[in-house]
Amino acid sequence: MSTATHPVEPFVHPALFYADIDQYLAGTVSFIRAGLAAGEPVAVAVPGENLALIQDALGADGDSVRFLDMRDAGRNPGRIIPGVLRAFADQQAPGRRVRIIGEPIWAGRSPDEYPACAQHEALINAAFQGREVTILCPYDTSRLDERVLADAHATHPVVIPAGSAAEVVSAAYDPDGVVDRYNLPLPPAPGAGPEVFGTAFAEDSLSAVRRLATDHGARLGLTGTALENLALITAELTTNSVVHGGGAGTLTVWPQDGYVLCEVRDKGRLADPLAGRRPPAREQRGGRGLLLVNLLSDLVRVHTGPEGTTIRSYLGR
Amino acid sequence: MSAPEPARLLRAAVVPKQAAPRLDVYPLTGRSGFRAVGEVILPTRDTWERALERVVREAEDVGGEDVYYLELSAVTFVDVAGAGALADTAKSLEGRRRLVLDRPPDSLSRILGLLWPGLSGIEVSAS
Repeated sequence: MSTATHPVEPFVHPALFYADIDQYLAGTVSFIRAGLAAGEPVAVAVPGENLALIQDALGADGDSVRFLDMRDAGRNPGRIIPGVLRAFADQQAPGRRVRIIGEPIWAGRSPDEYPACAQHEALINAAFQGREVTILCPYDTSRLDERVLADAHATHPVVIPAGSAAEVVSAAYDPDGVVDRYNLPLPPAPGAGPEVFGTAFAEDSLSAVRRLATDHGARLGLTGTALENLALITAELTTNSVVHGGGAGTLTVWPQDGYVLCEVRDKGRLADPLAGRRPPAREQRGGRGLLLVNLLSDLVRVHTGPEGTTIRSYLGR
Repeated sequence: MSAPEPARLLRAAVVPKQAAPRLDVYPLTGRSGFRAVGEVILPTRDTWERALERVVREAEDVGGEDVYYLELSAVTFVDVAGAGALADTAKSLEGRRRLVLDRPPDSLSRILGLLWPGLSGIEVSAS
């Protein structure tokens, strides 16, 4: 791409590699202070223990910074773009660069979560293209494995090596490749058993299926808002299959570790990788169903291809 | 309810049999508005949207600020598209009429707050 014919991309998305607390604070606090000095709005969404480090280092200077614990706000990686990053950036007055530190990947991320984390980091680039926004993503090189650090080079156009203050262009940058690579088939849902509820559905059974799924969620220990969320998630996923996924599908609800999983499979193909991650335009009519699923779930995994689409929502018990 | 059948068997395209979902809409007496009974999901969406279109149409005949009550205590579920139709209605009324949701399902207020933050023209009444 020639800079003579294309304007410089205003969105800046560096990965900050750090090996210890000193490097973490050197990279993050200078980034925050530079933003504050320029009068730019700044948000910090990192795991709670790192949040405390940054808050201590900033002292009273942190009063105008928005702080969020990423373990809560970004537990579901699919929620981070609409619920954390865009939620903050879109609130700011236009004409001023917005600075955000987003640390979505930490050492305790589970194997189920990680593919969604990598896809999220890749999709940030498309979601913020053309925006006057900088999102700095710290990566703990002492605790994250090699594959995660290699992926960070593919999801970030520039990287800041551990102990360095200078950005270098990432030769491995390939966000579309990461989205594809982690578009992985999900292990099959359990086929049978007293703790498994599975059914086919079509338009005329949407109501019954939602109620049966919710009854099953209650048997598995969901109560209150979590049970209500299961009803909403079931309704949106099954309705999407009826409207966009060939008119029918199959639903399975079962327990796994501390979660209740709700999975819908259909014959459709999800063409837009940002579906459910964009806050829809104010006048836009539909398209909020998957967004709600992302906002309510503790994790959402998606696999889509010519054979069809599987969406799996995890709800904590 | 019967015990759930194994998913493997049901995957052969067996769909639970049940009565068709319903949504019935009745005009309120003594105040402007309607009472809805049933659930707002894909198969009942047309009924819901027709009732809401009437709210906008009738608002053109009234002068000054006016309140319209949606009595929803017998509505068991509203999906995102149903909430969206409500949000669109509030927007197209442009303040000519306030919508008061009387005892809506909890999840409806939550959906509106999450997906249409800052939406004006809709109030929730718990009485």
